[in-house]
Amino acid sequence: MTELSNVADSDLRGIRDLDIDDVLAYVHRDLKRLPDYTELYKRYLRQRWDVYELDFSQDIVDWREGMSQEERDAFVGISAGFHHGERQVEVELPVFMLGGSEESKIYMSSQIEDEARHTVFFDRFYREVVGMPGDSVQEVLDASFEHVSETFVGPFGLLAYQADELRKDPEDPAARVRYGTTYFLWIEGVLALSVMKITLTYCRERGFLPGYYTGFTATCRDEARHVQFGMRFLRDSVQEDPRLLLQIHETLRTILAINGATSRRLALESLGWTPEEVRRLMIRQLHMKLVDVGIALPPDIQDMVARIEPELAGG
Amino acid sequence: MRFFTPEWAEAARAAVNAGPSQDGKLPSYWNWIDRARTGYTATWALGVRESGTYLVLTWKDGTCADAAITSDPSLADFVLAAGEATWRDLREGGDPGRAVMYRGLRLERGDVLAFFRVIYFFVESLAALTRLPTED
Repeated sequence: MTELSNVADSDLRGIRDLDIDDVLAYVHRDLKRLPDYTELYKRYLRQRWDVYELDFSQDIVDWREGMSQEERDAFVGISAGFHHGERQVEVELPVFMLGGSEESKIYMSSQIEDEARHTVFFDRFYREVVGMPGDSVQEVLDASFEHVSETFVGPFGLLAYQADELRKDPEDPAARVRYGTTYFLWIEGVLALSVMKITLTYCRERGFLPGYYTGFTATCRDEARHVQFGMRFLRDSVQEDPRLLLQIHETLRTILAINGATSRRLALESLGWTPEEVRRLMIRQLHMKLVDVGIALPPDIQDMVARIEPELAGG
Repeated sequence: MRFFTPEWAEAARAAVNAGPSQDGKLPSYWNWIDRARTGYTATWALGVRESGTYLVLTWKDGTCADAAITSDPSLADFVLAAGEATWRDLREGGDPGRAVMYRGLRLERGDVLAFFRVIYFFVESLAALTRLPTED
């Protein structure tokens, strides 16, 4: 519990010393209880961090002199998805904020700010450490897009189209649940947390990239609020109208159907991960959310989950 | 060959049936697309927002059986549209996946989840038809 208290209360300097496994445990600690939206907003106010305080000077040395080309390629490949993904959710979330309770809207304003800050984090990392060219945020995004794999293009594209669907009626419960399943359950709950575990474990075990480790660990702590909000939203939605469970199922069927496609392969082994370990990690992340929130799956989706392929970022 | 003419539509039909070059991408990716395409039956309408002109591709059992240019896409299962700038970018080699993810190409009508279950088949078909040599 002490470690989890440290996760909750650390400032940016203290976050650098946290273990990613403790942060992931912190993400899941409250899933059974699921704090209300006002409590999550208060937590945001305590945990907000300044992305411009991060120091990437040692990261630049590690990137150029410590890491092999294979490690750099794998690292760029797996993190480029979230370079674009953070930007994507920053611009897709406002439409979700148009619906729901006033407490939900107040909380959602904090998550939009989180996502904008995470976008700046990746912009700084890609610009200052990786050395991607560009004078503007968009130009750096342009430079990194070639590294984004289908693992991210599919779900983030789906989210963009679901945001357009939601814009037609932001209070439509079924559209909100479909959107929430893609965003909170899959993108935040499975993809983001898996990428965090993989890259942050690599950084910690190798002693590399302290600026990235600090910023992405702080991002992971932010994800705890995002995932807990999302799981509460899905749980409450289904409790209010059990028919909405079918919307979660249909969305998961689509996501799992497209999950296995990737056009390129990355050597995630160079970051210390085997394909089977990545597969187990993704399944575990999904199961932890579903079980804690009480979302039951029909047999066909259970089969699809068991067949999740370790294609995260083409790994 | 001019863009969005009957001649171009017929060339587009042949291009999506042939598919794009498979160089540089994993065989497993093309296997996924083959599975998505097998038995696929639906109609896509792909439009230019400024002109209101659509290319309608009719898929039957995994083959593009018909292609036509129309201003009325109401019978299509999935109606998508992009601005001229996006179409120009795609014809100049822009990434079709990015056009989807960045909402350069928008789904104006149709079931979002059903559309995305074949998303990479769609993306590669878009790549195939936008790589045709054309003039404005």
